[in-house]
Amino acid sequence: MADHAVPTWEEVARDHGRRIYNFAYRLTGNPDDASDLMQEVLLRVRRGLSGYTPGSFEGWLWRITRNAFLDDVRRKKRRPTSPLPDDDRTSLGSAPPPEDVLAESRLPEHLQQALLALPFDFREAVVMCDVVGLSYEEIAEATDVPVGTVRSRIHRGRKMLKGMLG
Amino acid sequence: MTHLGDLLSAFLDDELDSEQRLAAEAHLSECNSCVAERDDLAAVRSWMRELPVLEAPIPLAARRPPRWTWAAASVAAASLAIGLAIAPAQPAPGLDVLASQHSARVVVSPGISAVRGIGGAP
Repeated sequence: MADHAVPTWEEVARDHGRRIYNFAYRLTGNPDDASDLMQEVLLRVRRGLSGYTPGSFEGWLWRITRNAFLDDVRRKKRRPTSPLPDDDRTSLGSAPPPEDVLAESRLPEHLQQALLALPFDFREAVVMCDVVGLSYEEIAEATDVPVGTVRSRIHRGRKMLKGMLG
Repeated sequence: MTHLGDLLSAFLDDELDSEQRLAAEAHLSECNSCVAERDDLAAVRSWMRELPVLEAPIPLAARRPPRWTWAAASVAAASLAIGLAIAPAQPAPGLDVLASQHSARVVVSPGISAVRGIGGAP
């Protein structure tokens, strides 16, 4: 899509659907929640596109995504938490031999579990940076904090992940 | 000596301006502690960026009707079911014979059903 043009809903779904889903999955660790969130974000985008003023589309889109996620978290606080997906539960249920611990700790499911153990602000910043590929400025716009705060959150989040994974 | 701290992550992400980058590189050339921390951060950054990209399910939003449409569809389905339940009661040659031999149960919604036939047989 051209810079500063208002994209169509179909363009957003096509160009950003997978990134939204991956963002949601890394934040929740649950494919069903991630799918629901992606659908919700795309619905909100469809409703909001008519009022969108061409500018930083990334900031606009990821602010919607973040708000949808936080709304979902607030709703789910009133409901029991969902169980882990089967594949994650299986992989975490076994105790690897010591020599494999280091390599095991880098498996995607272990990294995912470590991500889920991060404070939300750190997890969100790291995922937006490393999974979604947003710049610090885009993350700052989406999360409504200064760039310096984004930098600090990413840094502290990564240090905590290193501490957990070795 | 002041260590680089969170500038290290910004350094790895290419988020420093040219002046900051030069200063960071100069510091790294003489600080083993910051080099070790940079390497740790680079490892985590690499693990994160190598996470598999998951395929998203096909978005439903383009084809999922809004809730009022679902409601309308439910009403239509219920109307059809009620119509089916009532229709056999209309006088029609031949149907009385069938009705005497068969019964039909039409479920309008869970817990509510209409039965047509002898003695309400299931």
